[in-house]
Amino acid sequence: MVTVKQVEDDNLVSKGAIPEQLKCPRFCFRDIRIPLYRFSSQSLLDDSPFEGHVCIPEDEQSALDSLLLAQWEDKMWKGVLRYDVTTSEIKVIFGRRKFIAQLNERLGMDYVPKPEPDKICGQGNLSEFQWTKHQEEFLFYVASGEMAIPELIPSAAMPDGAVLIIINEIPVEYGHVFLVPCGPDSLAQVLDTKSLEMVARFAVEINNCSFRLFYDCPTAGTSHRYFEACYFPSPLPVELTPVDTFFHERRRGMRISAVTDFPIKTLLFESNKKFKRMVEVLVEICCQLQEKSIPYNLLISDCGKKIFLFLQMQNMANSGTLSAWECGGYFLFQSRSEFDQATEETMLNKLRDVSLDDEGFQVVKELCCSIADKFAA
Amino acid sequence: MAFKQTRLRVPHGIGPTKENRRIRSCSSSRRRRGRRGRKRMESQLNFNIENSFDSCYSYCARQALDELPHSFTITDPSISGHPIVFASKGFLKVFGYTKDEVVGKNGRVFQGPKTDRKSVMEIREAIREERSMQINLLNYRKDGTPFWMLFHLSPVFSKQDGRVIHFVGVQVPISPPRRPRWLASGVVRNGANMCEEVDRVCGNTNIMFGSCRREVCSDTPVELSRVLALESVLDDSSRERHSLPGAGILSSSLNISLGRIKQSFVLTDPHLPDMPIVYASDAFLRLTGYARNEVLGHNCRFLSGADTDFSTLYQIKESIQTEQACTVRILNYRKDKSSFWNYLHMSPVRNASGKVAYFVGVQIEEGCKNQDRNGLCPEMRHCSVVGAVKVAVRSLSMGAGPSRS
Repeated sequence: MVTVKQVEDDNLVSKGAIPEQLKCPRFCFRDIRIPLYRFSSQSLLDDSPFEGHVCIPEDEQSALDSLLLAQWEDKMWKGVLRYDVTTSEIKVIFGRRKFIAQLNERLGMDYVPKPEPDKICGQGNLSEFQWTKHQEEFLFYVASGEMAIPELIPSAAMPDGAVLIIINEIPVEYGHVFLVPCGPDSLAQVLDTKSLEMVARFAVEINNCSFRLFYDCPTAGTSHRYFEACYFPSPLPVELTPVDTFFHERRRGMRISAVTDFPIKTLLFESNKKFKRMVEVLVEICCQLQEKSIPYNLLISDCGKKIFLFLQMQNMANSGTLSAWECGGYFLFQSRSEFDQATEETMLNKLRDVSLDDEGFQVVKELCCSIADKFAA
Repeated sequence: MAFKQTRLRVPHGIGPTKENRRIRSCSSSRRRRGRRGRKRMESQLNFNIENSFDSCYSYCARQALDELPHSFTITDPSISGHPIVFASKGFLKVFGYTKDEVVGKNGRVFQGPKTDRKSVMEIREAIREERSMQINLLNYRKDGTPFWMLFHLSPVFSKQDGRVIHFVGVQVPISPPRRPRWLASGVVRNGANMCEEVDRVCGNTNIMFGSCRREVCSDTPVELSRVLALESVLDDSSRERHSLPGAGILSSSLNISLGRIKQSFVLTDPHLPDMPIVYASDAFLRLTGYARNEVLGHNCRFLSGADTDFSTLYQIKESIQTEQACTVRILNYRKDKSSFWNYLHMSPVRNASGKVAYFVGVQIEEGCKNQDRNGLCPEMRHCSVVGAVKVAVRSLSMGAGPSRS
């Protein structure tokens, strides 16, 4: 019986090589070498119309998409994930809005409170055990690049301004990862332009309509900013709902619309050109929302072309907010009976109960217009 | 790395045996065939596109369609990229392209920066759900000028097995609608005649009319109904859609999603007798030398031959029975009887119910300079195909309302 020889390939995370630095309490995980994907030098700062990456034909899987799916499936096969999310049944809840429900019994069983990236990034006091446990969850880095085409480097240390992609071991859907911007100000609580730009760029390069990116505004207790993403099998209800544009910058192409007739108050940001400006406007709006204690969530869909902003009720305690995919209309149930009895009405109520009210929504809309005008000037 | 142990059958290292020679010559000639292989791939795609129309309809149908002055296209969802396989003279005139510039392209090339993304998504959904729909859409001509049109999409079902073989797209230029994203359901006031005509040819009660009469040019509804009558030229009596597609038939949306994956792989259905292949990628056909109709509906065992190791076959069978993934090295044979070492990875793939719907098999030919555009090693390439297939199949059979157990 001949065993297959495992060739030490740089594409795979090397195990067993624990750096010396781990032994001391303050360590830097920069020495972990995993694949690095560099974007091409063509950036979103250009004035050229933002129609998606010119190098990637839409009828073919992009390099970044292949990389993410490959790494994710590989980790699943190696047993890094707690369960196989594709065994969870999903269905459309009968009704006009087509809410989606998933029965995930495993989520309740060994549920760990969410902010894992808190323990990983930054200079916290991490024990060696926690560190080695998390190392296998690192997939790859994403950073800006200098070449005309994207580059994949099989093994590299963390470059400056990179985003670290970490697998979520209790996934909500296939491909569920955390995107953690790692930079000097990564401990800041506030959403910043550079991070949002990087993750939006990520969505564009993935170029797969099933891929969605999420951001939940930081609640009390999280010390680190991160995004999440996964592949949803079908359109989310919010994406199918008509919108009403109330701000349209003709020349620069930024458009802000209100999603009509949706139980939670939602705004949609789109831009054909000057994507960077839209990101700046959005970040400024989010900062102001945070100052006013209005919880919000972001959903980036349609390969980066659409950014939804969900607005929840002003909440001083900042507790009990919904996650972005729930705002979008995708719900998880932990028991078979709840799953079977879910109706559109209960889902509508769940969203309505946390939504910002009409008056608050009007204030936010006016805020958006004034900020957008300010940036346009 | 948790690979299962396989029994590696290595050809004799000593001296040039018949098998060695065969394998070696195969490897080097395939390297030489690189550039020629790519040209052959292109010409195969062109052949598929040209053949798509003629293999389904009679010559008279093509003549009849050529005589219609209106603008319409016919697309084939089973070809990678969902390309246009037929464009009417009216279409070429309206858009300003020649036939060669249009055939083989996907409809998105006529979209541009001001095209409403939501409308595009709705069209995509209609294709996925294999239903008709109608919507106002902004398209761009060859000279870059945008124009509004009423776009009607309709699937064409095969008489034999009920699957979608083509989509027909009809484009009727209109004056700019006042509210571009408005999609109202209701009856066009032009009258019952139009609805009946449409219903008759499309056999589908789910039609949504995208604009009211005021916004549409006065003779457009009549024009539209005349164009829709062209569907009767294609196939008069096959409007009846079977409630379930025939055994082993994949929906067109799954075909389109799988068409984006450029590696060699097959999808097999374990619920059908003898677990036949229900999808084979173009790369698989190139690797094995078979044509699509020669592999669809057959079990993969035709790839095995005299020197294929039984225990490897048994290992694969066992993995399938226990619904597990496995990776093996197996000696396979092409249509021309030459052999190659297949680094094969098989994995179960589940649909929305959470149960196994298909198995995916990903083949990597060993010994050749495998060019992977994405820079991934073979194991990662296996995984990227499996991941993409899992995402594509996850939405299948997503029921509404109470769940089925």
